[in-house]
Amino acid sequence: MMLLEHDAKELLARCGLAAPEGVWIEHAAELDRLALPPAPWMVKAQVPVGGRGKAGAIWPVATVAEAKAEVERLLGSRVLGHPVRACRLETRTAFVHEAYLSLIIDPLAAGVRVVVSAAGGIDVEQSADAMKNALAPPDEAGVREAAQSLARELPESHRGAVAAALAAAATAFFRYEALLVEINPLFIRADGSWLIGDAKLAVDVNALARQPEIRSLIEAKARAYPEAALKVRDGFDYVELDPEGTIGLLTTGAGLSMKLIDELIGKGERPINFVDVRTGELRGDPARLVRILDKLSRAPRLRVLLVNIFAGITDLGEFAALLVRALEAVPLFDVPIVARLVGRGAGEVQAQLRGARLPIVIEPDLDRAVAKTAEIAAGRGALA
Amino acid sequence: MIDCLLEAEIPALIQGASGRTGRQHLRLMQRYGTRIVGGVSARAELREIEGVPVFANCREAVAATGARASVLMVPALSVLAALTEAVEAGIELVVTVTEGVPVHDAMKALGIARAHGATWIGASTPGIAIPGRLKLGFLPDVALAPGSLGMMSKSGTLSYEVGHRLVQRGLGQTLWVGVGGDLVKGTRFADLVPLFARHAPTRGIVVIGEIGGTEEEELAEALAANRIAKPVFALLAGSHAPEGVMMGHAGAMIYGNRGSFASKRAALEAAGAQVYTTMDDLVRGIASDPNLLEQ
Repeated sequence: MMLLEHDAKELLARCGLAAPEGVWIEHAAELDRLALPPAPWMVKAQVPVGGRGKAGAIWPVATVAEAKAEVERLLGSRVLGHPVRACRLETRTAFVHEAYLSLIIDPLAAGVRVVVSAAGGIDVEQSADAMKNALAPPDEAGVREAAQSLARELPESHRGAVAAALAAAATAFFRYEALLVEINPLFIRADGSWLIGDAKLAVDVNALARQPEIRSLIEAKARAYPEAALKVRDGFDYVELDPEGTIGLLTTGAGLSMKLIDELIGKGERPINFVDVRTGELRGDPARLVRILDKLSRAPRLRVLLVNIFAGITDLGEFAALLVRALEAVPLFDVPIVARLVGRGAGEVQAQLRGARLPIVIEPDLDRAVAKTAEIAAGRGALA
Repeated sequence: MIDCLLEAEIPALIQGASGRTGRQHLRLMQRYGTRIVGGVSARAELREIEGVPVFANCREAVAATGARASVLMVPALSVLAALTEAVEAGIELVVTVTEGVPVHDAMKALGIARAHGATWIGASTPGIAIPGRLKLGFLPDVALAPGSLGMMSKSGTLSYEVGHRLVQRGLGQTLWVGVGGDLVKGTRFADLVPLFARHAPTRGIVVIGEIGGTEEEELAEALAANRIAKPVFALLAGSHAPEGVMMGHAGAMIYGNRGSFASKRAALEAAGAQVYTTMDDLVRGIASDPNLLEQ
């Protein structure tokens, strides 16, 4: 998962990658209360995606009034498809050179790709010729060695700063089990000192069990990292796609759930969420299903729930019984359900669902289940 | 050697055989016809599970049974150590089915597997199958049938759905390989192309891909380089996934334009593959090729 710039900078600073001073802002009013870094500033929308500058999500301001107006404009808007839940207000930095550096996992080579360029800034990825790269083995000493020899190929004006920043980035890469550390631009000042202008730090959710620094960040900022916080707390994946959508999904399997969403959107439907329930992990406890139904019950335009379980091992009769218990636990959830269940114990499902308080239709064919769901979402169909 | 994937009689171990999942899957694989010759468990008092001898470590198990493959049923943070133990004991084919293996561990595991010349399927995969004969992992029976298609998939569930629909139309598989949805993995789509290219019973190739990484683009290069004369049918998931958000699979996170749906589609089409966006279209496309139905 990609951390937000502000958090990436805080984590990277612990490894020696210093950034211009900045503060985290969730409400414009905080600009009156917080101790602000020296003006003038940049206001930067915190969304986990590149291309923010071009998307108008990074803006220079000189006064608190300007900053407030800019923060108000950005908060609650969407940038490149992501909701802006916070901004970073950061001191503007004077510099004479920019550079680019990154460390990224090379999945083919089973190593780390080190990339540098003496040009930095928003279009650097497009000028591939200026990029120099080297492959390093997957350990810190190896990455440092490759980084130092790459830095030696840069002009003297850039060499020292890039070498120092790369060495610190190598430490961060292994300390946080990163998938990507990217600094673009690296600001180099006239005296050779440097600061990181923008930073991308992608970390591995599968390593969170042994990454206490990242885990506590996610727990402390559950609002900014809703998907990761849910995964840390509950152990499964849930992504809100369209808060104004009409179709709730309760599905298992990452790939099939993703494809189902593709097909629904392709038909003009509006699924609210992606979820991978992992029925094999329920072990007789409806808690996970309760959480999902509870979240969906808060979607203002929810019309129908589509359940799709293709179970290799899970007993579907047991799953259906858990679903009924979960529905009882979430009285606010009050829409009809189209259920498509394939696997062991499918014959038990009907008997288990008889006790449910909501109308449920069982449809063994996925395409027909989708069609039925779409009818209900459009307010045309009803359950027999 | 990757050709060991085609050996239906390969003798196999289960590492982590004494756990709840390990026992259950050992029994299911055995019933399917897989030659399970031993289990490995650190629990010293166990001598036998389901009639299969249990050993304290891989070295002893390999020495006593001649096992050449191993299925790892161990927790995510133990996969690297268990894989290392297996390949150091001489295991040629390792299948890891655990969800959530850390990427840095997978990166190290890949280096170790390669150094020992072992084939690794994983990190997180439902496994492989030669329908009717061998199952290493837990691909569901309803999606499997002997036939003429070579299957390769990043996603478990999406491939089950497609396999199930194909089987209902009388289209089965020669070999099914779940490569997994991880960013770093043991066997990639492109690695399987030479195998399917020279395997005469395989008359068509089905690819279940998804956004993220560059595996589909590499596959396209391998298809062109191997001058594949067999039809290739691909389904890609994630055309509507938001950038930067992980949808369950670690490998499905996109950085910028790399690994986008459009890039994968263009690369595969340029290599002569039929690319479909819906499961129904894919299944109809495959079913319309008369050469793929059983004679």
